[in-house]
Amino acid sequence: MKMKKFINSPENLTKELLEGFAAAHRDLVTLKPGNMVVNNRLEKASRVTVVTLGGAGHEPALSGFVGEGMLDVSVVGDIFAAPGPITCVDAIKLADRGKGVLFVVLNHAGDMLAGDMAMKLAEKEGLHVAKVVTQEDVSNAPREHSDDRRGLVGCVPTFKIAGAAAAAGGSLEEVAAVARRFANNMATLAVAVRGATHPVTGITLDDPGEDEMEIGVGQHGEGGGGRQPMKSADETAEIMLNVLLDDLSIRAGEKVMLILNGAGATTLMELFIVYRRCEQLLKAKNVAIAANCVGEILTAQEQAGFQMFLARMDDELLRYWNAPCNTPYMKKVGSGTGHSGGTR
Amino acid sequence: MLLTKEDLFSMFRFVALLWQQNTLRLSEIDSRFGDGDHGVTIGKMAAMILSRLNERQDESVKDFIKSLGSGCLEIAGGSAGPLYGVLLEGLAGPLSDDDNEINAATLKAMFSSARSALFEITKARVGDKTLMDVLIPATEAAEKAPDDVLSILQAAAAAASLGLQETENQVSKFGRARNYGEKTLGTPDVGAVSTALLFKGFQCGAEEHIPQY
Repeated sequence: MKMKKFINSPENLTKELLEGFAAAHRDLVTLKPGNMVVNNRLEKASRVTVVTLGGAGHEPALSGFVGEGMLDVSVVGDIFAAPGPITCVDAIKLADRGKGVLFVVLNHAGDMLAGDMAMKLAEKEGLHVAKVVTQEDVSNAPREHSDDRRGLVGCVPTFKIAGAAAAAGGSLEEVAAVARRFANNMATLAVAVRGATHPVTGITLDDPGEDEMEIGVGQHGEGGGGRQPMKSADETAEIMLNVLLDDLSIRAGEKVMLILNGAGATTLMELFIVYRRCEQLLKAKNVAIAANCVGEILTAQEQAGFQMFLARMDDELLRYWNAPCNTPYMKKVGSGTGHSGGTR
Repeated sequence: MLLTKEDLFSMFRFVALLWQQNTLRLSEIDSRFGDGDHGVTIGKMAAMILSRLNERQDESVKDFIKSLGSGCLEIAGGSAGPLYGVLLEGLAGPLSDDDNEINAATLKAMFSSARSALFEITKARVGDKTLMDVLIPATEAAEKAPDDVLSILQAAAAAASLGLQETENQVSKFGRARNYGEKTLGTPDVGAVSTALLFKGFQCGAEEHIPQY
């Protein structure tokens, strides 16, 4: 089937989307050479700064979270493809305000190769950089082999926690330690019901059958978990939530962050129906949702499905989550309740 | 027999042309168990090689190959960018600035050096269904080949082709495809396909340029 997307030339997708994104949010971010999206207030910063890298085609992530209180520089590659390591080092240099740079890398083969090479090059140049890897997909490896777990939506709250810890004036080591503590206590499971179309090639990636869904897919719907007949919102919510609670060994009385991240073509209506069921189930287990986010934050084109994210929270992490931030796709006023942009 | 500078340019031109001819096929294979864009990345690298061939001044062979490596490292291409960047920079490793002709011993050393460089950045080895299933046997065949540059390139390309075929019988252990496990049986690894094309391009480019007897 012919691809039906509002695009111009396939070669210029990333360039054109970044130009539009930067123009729409020019009060907060600036697009610099090398596909770097930079926080407008970076130059005034005197703190640890936060840099990430990743492919495009997942909007609003990752660049949608560049701004005060979250990311300082996002290095964008191309559609679904990581940027090169040399560009990453340039971004780290650009971000460095003398207090060190936290470099957040999602666990995908290309991102990790670029990230590891960038770390080596940065260390050679004497830059003060710490790397935090987000790897929280519970579907493709057990917790003791978390190095094999894919990085899904967990990178976004990690940017928030790290950005807030940096804004609070922590040293690079302290910021990295907080980010790692959060990242080590998170878990995500993704479900897909329809595949994404690669917007350059027009090829449909891994499309479940008409009456099927697949729990345990990766960021682009790539499989592994196995197909099963389509289930209701409540049944799907219960299956997925139980896997996450087990993985994190969450017990009664604990506080969690719950994120429902739409993959691109699943409606907010569906996400709220699933959220409602999650809240009922957690309440029954005496687990409190202390932080949440429901919406599209890390998508994969028109893939239908969602990612369910759960993280163990404590008072310090909650303080960082609720701290003020001002980015195109996450804003918090920092009054403690922090309702804004669909997040709590 | 020696590989001249012009022979080397011809080798890289053939690699770029073979890559360009195969971009659609590479993306199609990648869409089965990956994210469907290996051909897009390979197409960018091919375009980069061709433009550097057209713009080349009188830089040394070493600098030219290194510039192809850094060109790949600058491309936004997921894992393929760093892997091919390191492979090409590795090829340039044993060369010195005044090496304008390459003899058999140097050519063998270039392949060995590329393999060592990749060993530093990936844990993948033979059997893991990655481009290493092509690169490792091709390098070993080059090392064992008679001391003649064409024989080395022919042996490497033949071993690369066999290594590629083997990947159809393997289960993916790296990259996105790893999560598909046994479903990957019967499909070659897409990185192995592009690496086999690299060795084929080296061979054809040299044969085209060097008269054969």
